[in-house]
Amino acid sequence: MLERLSRGRVMALAVAAVVAATTVTACGGDAGGPTTLRFVWWGNEDRANATKAAVAEFEKRHPEIKVETEYGAYDAYFQKLSTQVAGGAGPDLMQLDRATVGEYQHRHVLADLTGTSLHLDKIDTNLLAGGRVDGGQYAVPAGRTTQMLVFDPARFAAAGVAVPTKAGESWNWSQFTDAITKVGASGVAGSTDFGWAIDWFEVWLHQHGKSLYDGGKLGFDANDLQAFWTVTGSLRDRKGVTAATATTKMDGSTQNSALVGKQSASEINYDSSLTGYLSSYGGQLAAAPLPSDGKDTGMAAMPPVSYAVSQRSSHKDAAVRLLDFLVNDPAAGKILGATRGVPPNQDIRDQVCGSATGADKAVCDYETAQRDKVGPAFGAWPTGSAAIKRDFQRTYDDVIFGRIGPADGAKRVVQNAQNSLS
Amino acid sequence: MRRTQGAAYLFLSPWIIGATLLTVGPMAASLYLSLTDYDLFDPPKWVGLDNYLVMFTRDDRFWAAVSTTARYVLLSVPLKLVLALAVALLLNRPRRGGGLYRSAFYAPSLLGASVSLALVWRAMFASGGTVDRLLAAVGIDTGGWVDQPQYALFALVALAAWQFGAPMVIFLAGLKQIPRELYEAAAIDGASPVRRLVSVTLPMLSPVILFNLVLETIHAFQAFTGAFVVSGGRGGPSDSTLLYTLYLYQRGFTDFRMGYASAMAWVLLVVVAGVTVLLFRGARGWVFYAGEER
Repeated sequence: MLERLSRGRVMALAVAAVVAATTVTACGGDAGGPTTLRFVWWGNEDRANATKAAVAEFEKRHPEIKVETEYGAYDAYFQKLSTQVAGGAGPDLMQLDRATVGEYQHRHVLADLTGTSLHLDKIDTNLLAGGRVDGGQYAVPAGRTTQMLVFDPARFAAAGVAVPTKAGESWNWSQFTDAITKVGASGVAGSTDFGWAIDWFEVWLHQHGKSLYDGGKLGFDANDLQAFWTVTGSLRDRKGVTAATATTKMDGSTQNSALVGKQSASEINYDSSLTGYLSSYGGQLAAAPLPSDGKDTGMAAMPPVSYAVSQRSSHKDAAVRLLDFLVNDPAAGKILGATRGVPPNQDIRDQVCGSATGADKAVCDYETAQRDKVGPAFGAWPTGSAAIKRDFQRTYDDVIFGRIGPADGAKRVVQNAQNSLS
Repeated sequence: MRRTQGAAYLFLSPWIIGATLLTVGPMAASLYLSLTDYDLFDPPKWVGLDNYLVMFTRDDRFWAAVSTTARYVLLSVPLKLVLALAVALLLNRPRRGGGLYRSAFYAPSLLGASVSLALVWRAMFASGGTVDRLLAAVGIDTGGWVDQPQYALFALVALAAWQFGAPMVIFLAGLKQIPRELYEAAAIDGASPVRRLVSVTLPMLSPVILFNLVLETIHAFQAFTGAFVVSGGRGGPSDSTLLYTLYLYQRGFTDFRMGYASAMAWVLLVVVAGVTVLLFRGARGWVFYAGEER
């Protein structure tokens, strides 16, 4: 259909066509060339620097593979990761925590690593258990960690309290609560209120011969939780542990830590974060075992975080090679040190800890000193555990701000947890 | 006629394509998802109106979020508008460097949506932060607003109110439109400044007030960034900053309940539309349009 077009109309059409064309071509094509992997994790600066250095070493050995790294704070890590995965733009290799391994495996996000080129023979079997579901290996431990009480020796010494740090030394609950109450009397709270995290409740349960989960079911009832929160409640009244305003900020990271914020003299956490504490505290810190009244300390060796390969990755082989390098290569082990706990591979662990200095040495020393007190890993958390962990902390917020009693709070957690698990 | 229409549609095409792909399409998808159980990873499962039923009858946090959001809207919108109008009245007088003041007061609104500013806000209102120490210095010991459930929402309201730049500029434009003769006539009749404000400025400005009120109310219902950053995405302490949009985000992206989150989005849309209609209805009583008979 030819029509007589005026000069003005032609120009108008041309401009419009150009604008329309640019909106279409914005979706570009795919280029060939070397394989590009994406690898994401969360953590502190020390972990980021070590990981980037290890990745650079990997790229040097495998010029055909390029690795893009992305890291950030724990806060929004999983929201971002889930959105990317759902949108088909997920990473090839990702760092996960205990609660999300089960969650992601259940939703078919993770690749089964059995039968791949990955070597698992030197990695502790009980650490591997956390990533094993229905006979498949969906996640690999990035390290080994155990619970600790990280404390400021100067503050405890000033209050005249001794803390057991050497191998063979331990303390019971009444010694521990006396100690933190004494420190609390001298000004800053003796310890960060440990009622906020389901992780520390899990230890407490094991000390009482129970467990958090029993297969896919809850392993405790409202009475257990009420008892636990009653202990922390009485400590809070005596300034043994932090006030609600400090406790509510806790999320396990060092940047939101009450200890690092100088609001408490000690804090329960995993020893994998000791390097982060030491680099951000600005003062001396040491690690002590958790208190226990019985033979079972409730402390366990477990992966602080795990690595997993995406089921939708188009470069699974390359991703597995990177994973294998991170956990099994001596050079990688040396660079990574104890930034994700001590290395999961036994040979590399001995090597790294044999020549460790500074913060890495502190982690190794603690792990060595507590070797006899640490039991096997607690096992994988079921699907729904991520929601339960969040609800646990949210309810504890209500308890410490006096909006709900410990008894009603405990009932609510149990009820919501049963809904999340079903 | 047809020839010109072709060019018109071609020119409109970027917008039409954008609106269809980026607005209408996703909205239709979200309406469908709101009737399903969708976890982001597996295909959605049809559940009918279940999401809406659970929301209204069995979700305590939903109602907590509704009441928090209602308080946030009722506090932040009037405060912001009063501040905006007060500053606009001050700036409306001719003075040296008026443009500079206007820019200075508008600046927070440009920065307002940014994450870094909300981080500064969190640091300022934390226990031991600037505001805490200033208040303590004059004998008011609150111990940090953002860490306490009874005060945390006020920190968010303050953050919102501080960003009064956009309504202020609109008020200023409205003030410039009011004929000077009205003020001269009022002054000759011996009307005091307060009287002139109440009897001349406010009635003449009422359409602009309505416009700002509607706009800011809609904005307040959609507030997210401040609450997300100040509470670290959790809506705490003790759910005291759990705004509706933040809870929606948590349901969708942390709990993987995207169907439920979509249903929440539609409820929000309906509520905001309803509130807007009510505001316009109510406006008949107090908004005065020039040239209109009363």
